[in-house]
Amino acid sequence: MTDSNYDEIMRLLCDRLSALTDSELLITPDTNLISQLSIDSIKLLNLIMEIEDTFDVSIPINGLTDVQTVRQLADLVYKVKSTS
Amino acid sequence: MSSTITKLNAPLTKAQAFDSQPSSEIQLTPTQTSNTVAQRLANFDTLTDALEYAANGVTGYNFYDARGNLRSVLPYNSLRQNARILAQRLYNFNLPRGSRVAIIADTSPEFVELFFACRYAGLVPFAMPIPVNLGSHAIYVQQLRGMLESGRASIALANTDYFPFLEEAVEGAKFVEWTGTPEKLYELPAHDVEFQANNPNETAYLQFTSGSTRTPRGVVITERALMCNLQGIVRYGLEVKPGDRSASWLPFYHDMGLVGLVLAPMVTQISVDYLATRDFAIRPLQWLRLISRNRCTIAFSQPFGLKLCTMRARESDLKELDLTSWRAAGIGAEMIRPEILRNFAERFASAGFNEKAFLPCYGLAESTLAVTFSKIGQGCKSIQIDHKTLIEKRMAARLQAAGRKHNEFVNCGRPIPGHTIKIVDDEGRQLSEMMVGSVLVQGDSVMTGYFNNPEETTKALKSGNWLDTGDIGFLFEGDLFITGRRTDVIIVNGRNIRAQDIEELAELQPEVRSREASAFGVNDSDGTTTIVLVIECRLTSVTERQSLITRLQQLVYMAFGVNCVVELVAPHTLPRTSSGKLSRFAAKQGYIQRTNLEHQLSFMESGDR
Repeated sequence: MTDSNYDEIMRLLCDRLSALTDSELLITPDTNLISQLSIDSIKLLNLIMEIEDTFDVSIPINGLTDVQTVRQLADLVYKVKSTS
Repeated sequence: MSSTITKLNAPLTKAQAFDSQPSSEIQLTPTQTSNTVAQRLANFDTLTDALEYAANGVTGYNFYDARGNLRSVLPYNSLRQNARILAQRLYNFNLPRGSRVAIIADTSPEFVELFFACRYAGLVPFAMPIPVNLGSHAIYVQQLRGMLESGRASIALANTDYFPFLEEAVEGAKFVEWTGTPEKLYELPAHDVEFQANNPNETAYLQFTSGSTRTPRGVVITERALMCNLQGIVRYGLEVKPGDRSASWLPFYHDMGLVGLVLAPMVTQISVDYLATRDFAIRPLQWLRLISRNRCTIAFSQPFGLKLCTMRARESDLKELDLTSWRAAGIGAEMIRPEILRNFAERFASAGFNEKAFLPCYGLAESTLAVTFSKIGQGCKSIQIDHKTLIEKRMAARLQAAGRKHNEFVNCGRPIPGHTIKIVDDEGRQLSEMMVGSVLVQGDSVMTGYFNNPEETTKALKSGNWLDTGDIGFLFEGDLFITGRRTDVIIVNGRNIRAQDIEELAELQPEVRSREASAFGVNDSDGTTTIVLVIECRLTSVTERQSLITRLQQLVYMAFGVNCVVELVAPHTLPRTSSGKLSRFAAKQGYIQRTNLEHQLSFMESGDR
C-alpha cells in the first residue's frame, strides 16, 4: 500500500468524523476522538461500519483500545488494510 | 449512507458467494435443530451431567462471522470431548478443588470448551470481558487485574487476540500461577485421571457484575442455584420444546448471555447460532438474518439491541427477512420502555414478526439470571399509572381519566416457581400491592454471596436470605412492575454502570479527594440517560479546571465507553448523610435544581443503598 492510500484513509476519516459529530471543530490528525469529539458508542459503530465497508477490512476490537486520536485510528486502518 | 447500509446488509447467501471459501476447505453445516435423543428440560444435578446427556445428540453451538458466514461448529458431543481433553491438562497444576480459573470470554468455541473443562476438573471458571472502548487499554488491564485479584484466580486464560492484555494484567496479580492461551494448555501433558463427580452444593462459576478496578464483585453461583434457575427459565419462562433453536449476540461474560443463551440451550439440548457482540453492534440485522435463515424460535435482547435493529432496518432488508418462527423474544437486562418494543414490532411486522412473541422478564446476576417471566405468547403488557399519585404517595394508581399525566410500566410477570418477591419500604417493612418500594427476592436461585466479599454480601443479602435487588417497583395482581433503579446503578445504552465505579475513577485524580465525587444518571424526555459527575473542586485557574474536566471525561469514556457531564462545584456543596457519606440521590436533586431540569425530579429512585 502506498502513502496516497494512507492520505485517502485520513481524508475519509476526517470527512466522516466531521459529518458524524456536526462539530464546528476543524478535524485534524491530532484531534482526540474522546475528549474533543465526544464520539459516542453509536457514532463509533457507524464510523467503523463505514470504514470496514469502504476499505473492505475488519477492524479488530482489540486494536481500538490504543486509539485516541484520528491519526491513531488512521494508522490502525492502514495497518489492517496492509496486512489483509 | 443508505447504499452503504444496503450493501452491508446484503443477504447472507450473496455475502457467502462474495466471500467464498477456498475449495480445499470443507463447507461447514450448522448443527441440526431436530435432535436424536429425547429432550430433557434441565433435570440434571450438575452442568457436567447435563453435558454428558446433551453429547448423546446431534445439536450444539454454531459461530458466525460479521458477514454471516458460519465459522465454526461445536456440537455438544465435541464440546464434551474437547472439554474433557482440556480438563486432563488442567490437572497439571495440582490445584485444590474449587480453585478459580479466569477466562477472557469472547464469543468463541474456545471459551465454552474452557468453561466446561474447568467443571470437569472441579475448578470454578469466571468469565472476564473483552475490551470494547476506544483508548481503553490501560483501564481495561486494571479492570482485568481487579477481577483476577477479587476472584483469586489461580489460572488465567485468553485467546491470542486478548492474551497481551491478560499478560499485562497478571503482572502484579498475586494469586495467578499460570497464564496461557487454549493452545498452550493443549500442549501440556494429559493426566489420565477419573473425573470426580461434582456436587450440587459446589460453586459452578463466579459472575462478575462490575467494571470496577478496585472493588469488582464476583457473584457465587452453586450448581444447585444454577440448575434451579435454568429449570425456571426453560420450563416456566420459555416452555422449551423439541424443535426450538436459539440465536444470540449477547456477550458470554454477561449473565443473560452465559446462563440464558449458552447454558439454557445446552441443558435442553437445543442448537444455538452465535454472532459476536461487536458484529451485532455494527450490523444488527445479521442477528435477525440468522433467526430468519435458521428458523430460530428463541432469541433474547436488551431493549437497546432492539432499538439498534429498528434504527438500521431498511425496506429492502424487511423483504428478505422472515421472522415468523421467532416465538420467544425475551426482553430484559434494563428497564423496558414499551415504545422501544412497539417501534420494533411495527418496523418488523411486514417481516413476519409477531408482537405476541415479546417476553418481558426481570432478573439479575445475584439471582443467577431470571427472577420473573411474563406469560409466554402474550406479548408485552403494560399499565398506565397516574403520575401525581406515584410521586406524592409512592403508589401506583391506574389511570382513571385520559389526559392526565401518567407513566407506563411494563408487566414483567411472576417469579419462577420456588421464588418469592416482596416489596419493602426504606425501613424494610413489607408493602401491600400497588405500593412502590424496593424489590426483594427469595428462592433457591439466589447467590450464596459475593466471592470473598462479606461486606458487599451483607449489604445485598438481608435476613431470611432475601436478596435486595437494588431495583424499585410494585406488585399488581401478583405481577412485578419495575419503575426504576436506585441511584447506585446507571444504565446507558444497555450498559449497567455502577455509580461507585465512576466515582472511584475520579478519585484517582490528584485534584480529587476521596468522598468528593458523586456520579448519577439524568434522563431526558426521550429516555436517553446522561451520566453526570459532580466534583468538589478547589482549583481556581480556568485552565486547570478545564484540564480536570477533560481528563475526567476521557477516563470515564475509556472505562465505560460513555460520555459524561462533569460539573465542578465549591467544597461542601455535595450533600452528605449524618454519617458523612455522600448522598447520590441528594446530589442529583441539587444538580437538577442548579441546571433547571425540574421535570427530572422523579419518583424513579429512592435513596442510596
